[in-house]
Amino acid sequence: MNPIAIGVFIVIALLTLGSGIMVVTVRNIIHSALWLIASFIGVAALYLLMEAEFLAVVQILVYAGAVSILVLFAIMLTRQVTGEGVRVVFERWWVALLIALGLFGVIVPTLWQHGSTWEEASKLAQVGPAPVEGTAAAGLQVATATEIGRSFMGEYLLPFEVISILLLMALIGAIVIAYEERTRRRRVLTLAEELALKKRGIVEPRDAEGAVVALDSEQA
Amino acid sequence: MADALTQLGFASWLSVLIASIIKVTLILVGGSVGMMFLTWYERRAISYMQDRRGPNRVGPQGLLQPISEAIKTMTKEDATPREADRIVHFLAPVVMLGATVLSFAVIPWGRMFPVDLNAAVLFVIATGGLHSIGMMMAGWGSNNKFALLGGMRGVAQLISYEIPQVMAIIPVVLMTGSMSLQKIVEAQNDFGGLGWFVFSPVGLLGFALFFTASLAEGERTPFDIPEADSEIIAGYMTEYSGMKFAVFYLSNYMSNLAVCFITATLYLGGGNGPGVDALGGFAGGLLSLIYFLLKSFALFFIMVLIRATVPRLRVDQLMGFAWKFLLPLVLVNILSASFWVALLRWDQQWPQLTEWFGAPSTADATNWGRLAIAVVLTLLINAGAVALIMRLTNRNVQKHLYTTDEELALGLS
Repeated sequence: MNPIAIGVFIVIALLTLGSGIMVVTVRNIIHSALWLIASFIGVAALYLLMEAEFLAVVQILVYAGAVSILVLFAIMLTRQVTGEGVRVVFERWWVALLIALGLFGVIVPTLWQHGSTWEEASKLAQVGPAPVEGTAAAGLQVATATEIGRSFMGEYLLPFEVISILLLMALIGAIVIAYEERTRRRRVLTLAEELALKKRGIVEPRDAEGAVVALDSEQA
Repeated sequence: MADALTQLGFASWLSVLIASIIKVTLILVGGSVGMMFLTWYERRAISYMQDRRGPNRVGPQGLLQPISEAIKTMTKEDATPREADRIVHFLAPVVMLGATVLSFAVIPWGRMFPVDLNAAVLFVIATGGLHSIGMMMAGWGSNNKFALLGGMRGVAQLISYEIPQVMAIIPVVLMTGSMSLQKIVEAQNDFGGLGWFVFSPVGLLGFALFFTASLAEGERTPFDIPEADSEIIAGYMTEYSGMKFAVFYLSNYMSNLAVCFITATLYLGGGNGPGVDALGGFAGGLLSLIYFLLKSFALFFIMVLIRATVPRLRVDQLMGFAWKFLLPLVLVNILSASFWVALLRWDQQWPQLTEWFGAPSTADATNWGRLAIAVVLTLLINAGAVALIMRLTNRNVQKHLYTTDEELALGLS
């Protein structure tokens, strides 16, 4: 890597880490979600620095554009969004620390192992010619959509399918949780319909629903 | 451009820097000034559709109206609600505009490509997705229930319509074999510059679906629910005034323009047209730019036409349309696109298949027999799917429109 790239990398990495720290220390949950978006975008910038355009775009599309929005939606459905009473550090903070250290302990040796090939690749990149196909250096260039697609449909087919099934199960689970029985669901009547009901002197729809609920509870 | 500057004697890094600055300035100035006159164009056009004249006093034909409006918004008071989240409130329009301007980076202007990303198609969609963040920030930061409701509605709409929008592009990517906009434009250059994707059954349906989903992404009527003024004032923009409001307005119009550009590039052949290749060189580039702008502004005119004719959808209709109408059709379109590719291009896309089935007689698309089979097959699939899903939707709509007396009496339906 040339010095400019290293400088850019340091700046982006610091920004990403800084917004990551803000995520866990800010007291306002919405603010912490927004900082999370900032750190997602920082990660996308790191991908871009590695010339993995496709990964960077997907990172923004999926994480910054969809996942973070889901997080924001979930937060807005909860009661207490802001508030001084929100505690940032809990009593069992050391469990989280242990988990984080464990993850770090997995990532660093892996990177260490790949370090030699990384250096080889950067040396090759400095010398000029593109890395020979089939070598470790060429294996590092898994950035393009074609390569990612090939490895999904070839080498990593099983994990890919397992994750698909997992997502499908989550989808079905969400539907099951959100599903209301059709008989119990009442359409919101328009004003005209309610007036029509009143004109005929028929029971108020609210009572009808109440009757249905009461019947259900009797059966249960 | 950078090469030309290097030849003039600048250092290579300096010429790259200067070229980038020129490009960025052109896009920024062209985008915002173009947007100002786009508002004039839209107001005039919709006025004539509604049998009135529209702005016609300031300057010739009212052409200077946007400038007076710009001065007006800049001198307006910039109010922030006292209980608002000031930083988020301030940053929301910035995020919106930033995301929109980013999408202009990859748009091919005829034969000129500012940046040729490998994943350019996805890049445009991703920048559109960033809009939802700005919307959410505006809705939440304003500390106003109408703003929050508008923001939530807008984000739900953007996320729902992003799915059919992305999937409507997949047929184009399949037919091209690449996600780069440059390759997509090149792939539509057959038949003397008229081999646009919109002329194939797959591309036609894809065009209709993508344009519809993009209307929703750009919050155009009939999908302008986030700013439904009769229901929730101005949605997430309720608490914005002065220049901040103008920035929202700017980003909306610029993203609409970007949608027109992208649709013209993906389905209408970008800058391709008869005579571009024959002219070649600078003149050809100029002609392709003219073609491209003509196509884009024709699409924008269609947007205005839709705004003048189609009433706004209700929230539940909006969601139902995305999930029950657009999504199945998009999936069917992907299916027929794969038939199309399999019949016309399988020797190019999957050389392995050539080993198994032998090479086809000729490789190019001008093999009329195969082309005819592909057209008929995909036309049948797509037309059948459209007819079926429209019928199902109609039946559903009718079921919800009319309520029987018994249902009314029970209060259930």
